[in-house]
Amino acid sequence: MVLLRRFRGANNEGVLALVLLALIVAMSIANPTFFSLNTAFSILRSSIVPVIFALGVLIVVITGGIDVSFAAIAIFAGYSTVTFCLNAGFDPGLPGIFAIAIGVGAALGFINGIVIAQFSLPTLIVTLGTQGVFFGAMYTYVGASYYADLPRSMAALATSNLFDVTTDTGRAYLHVLVVPVLLLCLAVAWVLKRTMFGRSLYAIGGDIEAARRAGFQVKRTQISVYMLVGALAAIAGVIHIVLSRSANPRDLVGGELDIIAAVILGGALIFGGRGSVIGTVLGVLLVQVIKNSLLLVGVPSAWLRTAVGVLLVLGVGVQAIAAHRDSRRMRVIQDLDAEHKQEQKVGS
Amino acid sequence: MSRKLTTRDETSLPNSGPLGQFNDQVASWTRRLVRPAGVHRGAGRMVVALLLAIALFTVLNPRVFLSPINLQNIAVAAPEIGIIAIAMMLVMLTGGIDLSLVAIANFSAITISTLHTAIAANDPDLANNLGIVIVLAGIAVGMLGGAFNGFLVSVVGITPILATLATMQIYNGMAIVWTGGSTLYGAPAVLGAIGQAAVANIPVLFVIFIITAVLVAVLVNRTALGRMIQLEGANPIAARYSAIPRRMVLMKTYTVGGLIAGLAGVLFLARNPTASADYGSSYVLLVIVIAVLGGTNPTGGFASVFGVVLATLTLQVVSSGFTAIRLSSYEYAIAQGVILIAVMIFDAVSSRRTKRPKKTNRAPRAGASTPQTALTRT
Repeated sequence: MVLLRRFRGANNEGVLALVLLALIVAMSIANPTFFSLNTAFSILRSSIVPVIFALGVLIVVITGGIDVSFAAIAIFAGYSTVTFCLNAGFDPGLPGIFAIAIGVGAALGFINGIVIAQFSLPTLIVTLGTQGVFFGAMYTYVGASYYADLPRSMAALATSNLFDVTTDTGRAYLHVLVVPVLLLCLAVAWVLKRTMFGRSLYAIGGDIEAARRAGFQVKRTQISVYMLVGALAAIAGVIHIVLSRSANPRDLVGGELDIIAAVILGGALIFGGRGSVIGTVLGVLLVQVIKNSLLLVGVPSAWLRTAVGVLLVLGVGVQAIAAHRDSRRMRVIQDLDAEHKQEQKVGS
Repeated sequence: MSRKLTTRDETSLPNSGPLGQFNDQVASWTRRLVRPAGVHRGAGRMVVALLLAIALFTVLNPRVFLSPINLQNIAVAAPEIGIIAIAMMLVMLTGGIDLSLVAIANFSAITISTLHTAIAANDPDLANNLGIVIVLAGIAVGMLGGAFNGFLVSVVGITPILATLATMQIYNGMAIVWTGGSTLYGAPAVLGAIGQAAVANIPVLFVIFIITAVLVAVLVNRTALGRMIQLEGANPIAARYSAIPRRMVLMKTYTVGGLIAGLAGVLFLARNPTASADYGSSYVLLVIVIAVLGGTNPTGGFASVFGVVLATLTLQVVSSGFTAIRLSSYEYAIAQGVILIAVMIFDAVSSRRTKRPKKTNRAPRAGASTPQTALTRT
């Protein structure tokens, strides 16, 4: 029993892992071509960008906020960096490109953070507003053209693979960018679990007033959270451009809600204070596996949106009903205790 | 927040004696007369903003902006956005949010278009005769979508933003599957006639918008349900202890919201006899912007239908004014975002200033915020 509970995890990560496993087994039985190294690698490759986005969203959600501007920040940072490099005609190398993009992303995140923290405004509405501003600003001031030729260092990264395995179904490639994503996940998990900054995020999400009274610098933390999200989004934006081997300003924006859905499926509580990196990664993988398997089973990919929506209703609905039942159960136990005491009194 | 309520309660205490009653009646009449301008900060502010916007674009490019065609365009384009914004305002009044409204409107439009095409394939006359029935079916579909939202929010207990995020995906996904991602053509002739018609140079679409606004204003301000919606949004704990049936109120609010969104879907078709799954995808943001600009408090309890109508017109004026002075739609997107955030900051600063005189500012505010956070977690 204890073992079971431990496996279930604090945010139902175990349940999610089982669902994912069951889905993979079912898919492999339904269509044997699903169970191959090729599929696994391509699912991993398609999860690279969503996982980085999801890490950013997770951090915001833990503090009790929500950010819908991250996709706009990502494409703004990635696209303007590429535009800058191409127009200036020099290639600062990968570290340089990432540094510029992260700087731009963090600056945009700072705008979000300062507005939200300084005036304590609703995060959803502020980021909806800044999303429009960032997107419009990119088109108006940076440009709207599509670049098929990337700076040389980025183009080289696009074709470098970590593994190159030849199987009987064909060659399977594992993209090298899986490694930095894995490192990023570990880093975020470490920050959330082991640093004062990470614990203050949970504290703010749990109860902002309690956190303030306990001495946390709420405003400063909020600003750094949104800067961090901006930086993560910028990394995702650059990686997206690398993976798609072109810089298209129309990409990414519009897919925000899918990422948020994956994070919520991963067990993060929308009110803040709960959420883990493992759950988030599992949530993203689940969505990607469904995306991949719908096609293989022969369901048109148009059903994907509906499938994610239904999954979200089920996931959150079960949580909501469970929370409802828990709160009722506690009351019953208290009542029973009270009755018990009264009986004792009457008996004596 | 609480101050406003108490003053209203005090003045509505009944006086004894016939003279006192007469006095009360006069007082309530005058209050009704004064209230629209005085109490609703959203409405008063939007009147100024609307006049400013009109003046600005008149000065910048009077020939294009004041041309009858441009004004006609504003009056035809505003209703569909404004009606969805009113639905959003209604849901925000309970402290919730409904992201699925635009998806519901599209779903309703697609239903009408498909039904019409299916019937018209056999008998075109019958399809046009049944026009009203088909339109009502579309609105009913919208209502059903809203009712499902209400079920998820009130019975299952999912947070509104997540529930409607999910249903937005579901309705939108179903619409994509249904239409195969393409645009459907065809709508009952009645709708086309409504879209073209005008009463005294005012497009009928605009008249429908105003009628909807008046009906919702009556619902919110003059009925028991409206009062319960306001109280539920203003202070859910107080509402619970006042025996306000939370589930029933939320259920009805989201159902009415879906109904209004269905009506917006009808207007989509009346303006343009085409329906597609991803029509008006930018409306989701725009509608929230309009509702908040119109003085709707996103945390619930306070809103003004009049303010939302004015905010719709203001944004429509800004949009067409931007076109008149040759700015792109991306610059309009920037303007939208900047206006939204500027208004929110302005509200936050001005409400902070009114609270400041008390030196013990922190304690009551802290006390007020803790029960609210406690409640959202249950």
